[in-house]
Amino acid sequence: MKPQPVALKILNVLSLGLFLAALALVFLYAPLEVTMNYVQKIFYFHVANAWVGMLGFVAAAVAGVIYLVKHDLNWDIIEVSAVEISLVFFLVAILAGSIWARPSWGTYWTWEPRLTTAAILELVYIACLLLRQGIDDPDRRARFSAVYTLLGSISVPITFFSIRLFRTIHPVIIGTGSASSQGSFDMSPKMLVTMFFSLGAFSVIFVTLFWHRIRLGQLSQVVDQRKMEE
Amino acid sequence: MTIEPDTASDHLASRKSSFEQNPSFLKSIGAIIWKDLVSELRSRELLTSMMVFALLVILIFNFALELDASTRKVATAGILWATFVFAGTLGLNRSLALEKDRGCLDSLLLAPVDRSAIYFGKMISNLVFMLIVEGIVLPVYSVLYNTNLFVPGLIGVILLGSIGYVAVGTLLSTMAVQTRTRDVLLPILLFPIIIPILIAAVKASSGILQGMDLVQILPYINLLLVYDVIFIALAFMVFDFIVEE
Amino acid sequence: MLEYSISIKYMLIGYSAILVVLFIYIASLFVRWRNLQRDLNSLEQTGKKG
Repeated sequence: MKPQPVALKILNVLSLGLFLAALALVFLYAPLEVTMNYVQKIFYFHVANAWVGMLGFVAAAVAGVIYLVKHDLNWDIIEVSAVEISLVFFLVAILAGSIWARPSWGTYWTWEPRLTTAAILELVYIACLLLRQGIDDPDRRARFSAVYTLLGSISVPITFFSIRLFRTIHPVIIGTGSASSQGSFDMSPKMLVTMFFSLGAFSVIFVTLFWHRIRLGQLSQVVDQRKMEE
Repeated sequence: MTIEPDTASDHLASRKSSFEQNPSFLKSIGAIIWKDLVSELRSRELLTSMMVFALLVILIFNFALELDASTRKVATAGILWATFVFAGTLGLNRSLALEKDRGCLDSLLLAPVDRSAIYFGKMISNLVFMLIVEGIVLPVYSVLYNTNLFVPGLIGVILLGSIGYVAVGTLLSTMAVQTRTRDVLLPILLFPIIIPILIAAVKASSGILQGMDLVQILPYINLLLVYDVIFIALAFMVFDFIVEE
Repeated sequence: MLEYSISIKYMLIGYSAILVVLFIYIASLFVRWRNLQRDLNSLEQTGKKG
């Protein structure tokens, strides 16, 4: 198995550096918010992880469709890698958001659109991984996984809008919120800087982890092929 | 320029013209539906198990929830749809498992029948079974809880919801039946995907039963229609990929 | 306004959760990689012998 390319090694270092820098910005640079003071700081990483989860979601859907068109198993590896890391990033986002919610809204959980949709998305990902586990033939596994991911990638956004049809309390920070949403807060310039830096840092971390996971998938494929030759 | 026979665009192209080139497309669908209905008429195993299961679910709800007159108004829609979803899973699983076990699926695939005809045939026969079960659950529930469920709007919502459910369900059960985990996998795959149907159907049903304005109910009915159209189209495009050999 | 001690407590819990989950995932990538490498090595060994 090929050793890590130089670009990946650089990304490793860059990711770690940006991560630490983002932490520094969050704790040392960003000012305290008026009502929620310290606990508001979770928000920076919560949003960053959710954003990156979305990237993974799109990547998975696209990779799945490309596999169906091209039948190249490398795209299947990309698809399952995207599903897996999106699962992890959304999990972090949900956990962080939940912990932030407790002191802010008084409850760990609420059935509002974004949160509920995120939970359903996690279930879709888990279902996809379970589906893959039940199939031995690599081509069939790839096809089924791609089809299911496609179904999920269309159903989940529809789910989001369905739930939004009748409720919301999720904070809206870019000011386009409907009259019924509560809990919004304004972000000062320093906060915005921290937010965007976190988004950027996690985007780099996303690429790095994605790449590592793809390499893992390729190694796994090699091992499976050797086993079949036995 | 080389022509690759297996690309998705070719699948689409052949399917667009299938109605013109293949007058037997509709006949194939009809044949599959007829086969399912007739064999079910003889054995009745699918319908009996779905029916008994549905009635048991209603029984369980009776003990699980306190259904006094006021709660009933609000909870009826939810109970009905939960019942349909669970009983439906049973039907979907059995229907495809029967195909696979009797070797019918393989024979169908060998026959010169357009793949999507198989999908539509199975989907419509699954739909018929589900509607039959729903058609029996409604009067039973009406009698047991002294609620009139024979409102035309409700029948319409049940129809739309069932169509969407069966459209996705047939596709997913075709996949699930080809895995090692089979029956167990179908609900896990199906339920997250049909959440929009559940939301829209329950809200619309509830609205109709409580006599709300059409204005409030219409968005949910729209949602059902949109979902049905999107997912039937999607299943049509994608079915080939899950029955390749 | 939220009391400082509660706020700080939840903030720390939150960040711990973030760090722990990310760490567990990255660790799992390492472990899976190492296991696969071992499998590959032993397969190549038996390949040479056989």
